[in-house]
Amino acid sequence: MSDETLLRVNLEAAYPGKSILRDVRFELQRGEILGLAGTSGAGKSTLVLSLLGLLPWRGGRVSGEVELDGENLLALNERRLRELRGCKVALIPQSPMTALNSAISLQSHFVEAWKAHEDSGRAALDRRMQDLLAEVQLPSDRGFLRRRPSQISVGQAQRVLIALALLHRPQLIVADEPTSALDPVTQAQIVDLLRRLNRRHGTALLYVSHDLVSVLRLCDRVAILDSGAIVECLPVDALHKASHESTRALLETLPVPLDVLLSFRNSAAPEPLHLVIAE
Amino acid sequence: MKINRSIAALLFGLALIASAVVLAPGASYSRQERDATFAAASRQHMAGTDELGRDRLVRVSAAFLLSLAGAIMASALTTAAAAGVGTLAAFGPASVGWLAMLVCDVFLALPWLFLLMMVRSALPLTTSPANSAAITFLVLAALGWPACARAVYRGALHLKSAEWMLHARASGLRSAQIVRHAIPNFFPLLLPQFLVCIPAFVIAEANLGALGLGVGEPLPSWGGMLLELDNSAMLMQTRWVYFPVALLIVVLLLLDAIAVEVE
Repeated sequence: MSDETLLRVNLEAAYPGKSILRDVRFELQRGEILGLAGTSGAGKSTLVLSLLGLLPWRGGRVSGEVELDGENLLALNERRLRELRGCKVALIPQSPMTALNSAISLQSHFVEAWKAHEDSGRAALDRRMQDLLAEVQLPSDRGFLRRRPSQISVGQAQRVLIALALLHRPQLIVADEPTSALDPVTQAQIVDLLRRLNRRHGTALLYVSHDLVSVLRLCDRVAILDSGAIVECLPVDALHKASHESTRALLETLPVPLDVLLSFRNSAAPEPLHLVIAE
Repeated sequence: MKINRSIAALLFGLALIASAVVLAPGASYSRQERDATFAAASRQHMAGTDELGRDRLVRVSAAFLLSLAGAIMASALTTAAAAGVGTLAAFGPASVGWLAMLVCDVFLALPWLFLLMMVRSALPLTTSPANSAAITFLVLAALGWPACARAVYRGALHLKSAEWMLHARASGLRSAQIVRHAIPNFFPLLLPQFLVCIPAFVIAEANLGALGLGVGEPLPSWGGMLLELDNSAMLMQTRWVYFPVALLIVVLLLLDAIAVEVE
């Protein structure tokens, strides 16, 4: 494992009587964005839970290794795992509305997540929150923070969850289909936000999605998950060389030819809007 | 989820009036005027007197307050017990949940009125009136929790698999933090249970009282006053004997309206 490798995964996972992941092996470099694409039912959500050591809470069982920064998460006890979750590795969940507790305010979400890993008082949290909320483009006034999750839009909720994930400056963020519940415009905004955050802070991102277009737009490399195994893993630029049939099947679903999407991604990265207008 | 303010205000107003009647100087629910039994409504006794010459308005007011207070306390007890059992069953090991729900089902399958009579008659009948009132409502609370516990169990199971709980774990929140945040999620579940139990207990107490197993004399109770209606000869004496049952119906309708509104 080189110094540049942040995450090395080699695991199997199962629910009682049903094996879900049988051969999942991949590595993630520091500061890299790795896309994990696969059809529904390929085991993406199970993999996300396994990486965070949360599968037992859903009745599943994981074996193997999830080595984060040299430490095997699967060998740790729940106490130590808790200390790492949210602090070193954070999650951006799939459905923003249900992932927030509807009975408490947005402010309380931040306060509790802060208290889980920090002893420093409210002043430090307030400063951090101001920065974070500005970064994810949310208002930071008291009126907004006093709202309940049901009183904000889905897009806003997803931004709140991204801010929560960033709170303790984790080394790795696992994003489990973070755009699947959003409309296309908000989807694009969230993808851009994730990319900007990655560039600015160097936070590595594991971007799990069935939407290959957003994966192409965001990721450096892409791993293809099919029926519980990683069948192929290659740089996004080299996707046309994909040999596995499920990769090819996914590529065939693209609305625009791959090379067009890639040329757009490569050339349009800094200011996409201007280039479109110029053309 | 909102309590209908006007219905709640109406009920509160009734309770205030009843308190005023009971606490008025010279009012007594037990003083007997033997020369004025079955008196018609008069200035002195606005709803007449009963067969022992006791003021009917004061007795009905006291019965209303006693039954409402008792039912509310019993309902609070039963809801608390149900919350405990339901949560434990949902969050504990699967075997505990299965066992708890089996006990609930057995309880629910019992003919509860007969069970109430059995339990109540097994308890000493010679206790003081205050004790008899306490025992009656405690017995109601002790037998009322299973239906409520089942509802709480369902809700808690739903909560257990809630996405926000998993996300809270993913954020590294301690179990104590998560439990603290789960509590407000129980209120929408418990409040309707609490409100539904109140009218049920009021009527259960009236049933027990009408069988002579409820609150002991001379304490007034709905049940005791319904016993008056047993004697058809008395029904001819004065229409005011219907007053307790009329008020009971009004109170039950109001309580039900509040519960239904919240549900």
